[in-house]
Amino acid sequence: MSGNTITTPPSDTAVTVPPLRRSWTPKWLRIGFLYLGLWVAFIWCVFPFYWMIATSLRAKDELFARPPSLVPHSFTFQSYVDLLVGAEFWRYALNSLILTASVTVISVAISVTAGYAMARHRFKGSVALPLFMLYGQMFPPVLLLIPFYIQLRWLGWLDSLYGLIPVYLSYMLPLCVWLMRGFFSQVPHSLEDAARLDGCTRWQAFWRVILPMARPGIVAVATWVMIHTWNEFLYASTFILSDKNRTLPLGLSGLIGQYTTDWGMLMAGGVLTSAPILLVFFFLQKHLVSGVGGGAVKG
Amino acid sequence: MRHFWKTSTIAAALVAALGATPAFADNIVLWVNGPLASAPDAPIYAELKAFEAETGHTVELQAVPHMEMERNLFVALSGGAGPDVMALDIAWVAGLADAGLLADVTEQSDPIADEYQPGPLSAGRFKQRQYAMPLYTNNVALYVNNKMLAEAGIDAPPKTWDEFEAAAIAMTDKNAGTFGLTFGGSRVGAFQLYPFIWQSGAEIIADDGAVGVGSPEAIEAVKFVSDLYTEHQAMPASVLTANSWDEVNAPFIQERAGMLISGDWAIGALNNGNPDLDYSIVPLPEGAQAATVIGGYNLAINANSDVSEASWELVEWLTGPRSIELMAQYQRLSAQAAAATDEAIAKLPEDLQPFMTQASAGRARPVVAQWSQIHSDVFGSVWDSALRGQPIDEVMAQAATQIEQILGQ
Amino acid sequence: MTARAPTNQKLRRTWSSVFETGAGARIYPYLMVLPAVIIVVGVVVYPLVSGITSAFHDVTLRTLNSGDMPFVGLRNFERVFADPSFGIASFNTLVWVVLNVVAQLSLGLGLALLLHRAMPGIGFFRSGILVPWVVPSVVAVLTWRWMYDPSVGIVNELLVRWGVINDYHPWLGDTATSLYAVTVESIWKGTPFVMLLLLAALQLVPRSIMEAASMDGASGWRKLWHVILPQIRVSFAIAAVLTFILTVNNFNAIWLMTEGGPLNSSEILFTLAYKYGFQRYDLGMASAVATMLFVGLVIATTLYLKLIQAKEGE
Repeated sequence: MSGNTITTPPSDTAVTVPPLRRSWTPKWLRIGFLYLGLWVAFIWCVFPFYWMIATSLRAKDELFARPPSLVPHSFTFQSYVDLLVGAEFWRYALNSLILTASVTVISVAISVTAGYAMARHRFKGSVALPLFMLYGQMFPPVLLLIPFYIQLRWLGWLDSLYGLIPVYLSYMLPLCVWLMRGFFSQVPHSLEDAARLDGCTRWQAFWRVILPMARPGIVAVATWVMIHTWNEFLYASTFILSDKNRTLPLGLSGLIGQYTTDWGMLMAGGVLTSAPILLVFFFLQKHLVSGVGGGAVKG
Repeated sequence: MRHFWKTSTIAAALVAALGATPAFADNIVLWVNGPLASAPDAPIYAELKAFEAETGHTVELQAVPHMEMERNLFVALSGGAGPDVMALDIAWVAGLADAGLLADVTEQSDPIADEYQPGPLSAGRFKQRQYAMPLYTNNVALYVNNKMLAEAGIDAPPKTWDEFEAAAIAMTDKNAGTFGLTFGGSRVGAFQLYPFIWQSGAEIIADDGAVGVGSPEAIEAVKFVSDLYTEHQAMPASVLTANSWDEVNAPFIQERAGMLISGDWAIGALNNGNPDLDYSIVPLPEGAQAATVIGGYNLAINANSDVSEASWELVEWLTGPRSIELMAQYQRLSAQAAAATDEAIAKLPEDLQPFMTQASAGRARPVVAQWSQIHSDVFGSVWDSALRGQPIDEVMAQAATQIEQILGQ
Repeated sequence: MTARAPTNQKLRRTWSSVFETGAGARIYPYLMVLPAVIIVVGVVVYPLVSGITSAFHDVTLRTLNSGDMPFVGLRNFERVFADPSFGIASFNTLVWVVLNVVAQLSLGLGLALLLHRAMPGIGFFRSGILVPWVVPSVVAVLTWRWMYDPSVGIVNELLVRWGVINDYHPWLGDTATSLYAVTVESIWKGTPFVMLLLLAALQLVPRSIMEAASMDGASGWRKLWHVILPQIRVSFAIAAVLTFILTVNNFNAIWLMTEGGPLNSSEILFTLAYKYGFQRYDLGMASAVATMLFVGLVIATTLYLKLIQAKEGE
């Protein structure tokens, strides 16, 4: 080994023969089918979101029009204006942001180390431990509300954002550790061994070789934590009482009334709540391409 | 001389201090349902300011969305915490009172009991003790589409069951896709059904605890309403799924259904949904007697509150005579007796008047601890089964047995 | 992507060299796992134990307030078994779980295979397909409910326009379709997560393996089954377990669309537990159902993972 850089895993260097395709379908047709499939999936996934946007833009008297029209006849941005002008939306968004950022950073940091240790090392409990942690997720969360509430009250952490952090972590971590363990177990042992032979300490091998390899996994885990914290509703609605500590999902549920719901506002709120996450993911998603198969995807 | 000045300054300061803050200034935590505090300038804030200025207490207001109110109260109260004063849907009072979570306010409320309308007040009374005072009240009336009624050749909104049925059938036209009446399914449908059961002369659960659901009158009432769907097809298919008021309203807004049974909360939804809708609101048609179902919110005090005296002051303040003015700002109805006088009714917006006019026929749902369960499990199923063509007498007989079991009789 | 090995010996003498040999090397995996364990155990143990013990005590609003919750043995379970809704809910849970897990895993895998290569505009498709997962659950469910609505639902309108049905149908109000209508929403919502996991896993499959498979002439299903799946089996197993757990504990979809109705036609054990707990205020019965669900999940996942591990031969 060169001692300076490790570019490709040893097992990957041998094959450089150009692929030989026996498939008889012409390339353009296969690409065509691929894009067709992508569009079908895209429309299926995005249509309800489109419907939210359309509903948020419709005038109130068009909401109940029959038959419903695919494209709104009249556009109004009133719901968005109403939401964005008030101070509440921004305060809720800030709370959500603080909460999501802290929970994401902490869970990724903790689950990366724990997942790595579990994937790489056999130690007492390395098999049973992740399973035990996961067991905690299997009890319906809604029935844990009261004991959680009692616990938080005893600690004096009710009605605070920092009180939610451990609750969320306990909910996110088992899954994150599991996911990270799975991704790390896919990174070949040989890589780390090679780095160690080069004189890296465990920490250096982990930090400089393994971590970059596992980047797609880390992005996936971070996305999972981010989305679930950003949208978490049940715990937040029970443990947050005062207006100043509310998060976005709580603000949204406030728009659902006992007798009638302001659909325009609710849908506009849903769109505004989803947008930042989609934007973040749009920039994150290119890091899903990395690691061992890094070169392959560009072929 | 200097000494004298010094003393008197202190005395003056003391007097001033006492004047500004009474001896017992308490902080009261108050939970209200979301719509009452939907914006920073909601009327309740000014009202609380006035209360604070008058009494020296401070009030910490927390608005809870209706959807989470019941669960959050349950969790908080079970966890030994919760607010000092809470707004409760009137149907929740019995369950919480039975568990000993609400303070008994009978002593304080008895002297002023006749200031309230008897129906709403009785919704806060459980086993002869008062646990909650009515904050606002509502009831359901009949909404009629004037144009559809006229086109069906009928010149006045129905006043009796027969006229009601005739109108519903007359407005139904398969080819035009119109129906006589839009109605809810499951729990919402059951809520709309209660007035008909009472109008037939039957009781759901009488004051002495007797279950009246299996009686011939009750069976007749359920059959009368469900026949409109199963027999006459006078309801749109949305009745099978409409579990929210928006879904119930939709066919009426679209002018596909000529009648709607709903409370004052529908007015805003209808006007938003179809500004051109021409409708009138009239009291519910009468069966053997007039009856409508009461809804609304109550205020109750946490049994474990440290500031129960101040809490009572707040409850009395918010539900008292000032509530007429306060609730008018929300386009809601106060439950004060003074709000139901002819002059007071005349001052109400025209849309609200029919509701107050029939308020005397308003009945509270049975105040029994297991009401939530009876309403959702038993009556929700009764109505859903009836709509799907199951024999009403069997359904009702079974419901009666179930209710008796639930009540532990 | 690239890592520089240390250029001189000094770098090796960092604090972490303590863990290179001897006792340090033995305890360091534990140290790495410790924070996760402390948080999870510290936060979850009390609620979990309390939740399970509630199943064997008389826990209602009344007893909670008085603080005296007598031990009742298996009485809560007996009462649950005596409820006719329990049988229906158990059966529905089975249907619900099987449909969701199978559909989400296969669709998720299909999407991941579609999306894993670099093509023009792939970021756009990836982000778009993630949309269902990003939309706040409450809003998503209410949107679907509105789309299904028999008065103004766009689903009905489109199906009528395409000639699939003659008239608007109350999908959520028909006892024959309610559970499946909710399932469609839940599959829509859950698939992107599976897609993302498998997409990340696919990125870790060495290029050489994919190409070797192509060279052997293995195409289509055979390549998928014999080459790709074995490579991502760990992630696939994890995705299966997580989908399973999340489906069993998916509450919003059913509760906000049908509340388990009409006439229990879409009742699953979770919604039943919720009704016991938060409509009847009987946490004893609710916890009995929850405990059964819990035990079922624990057994099922443990068995499944043992099976996977046996196959792996680890």
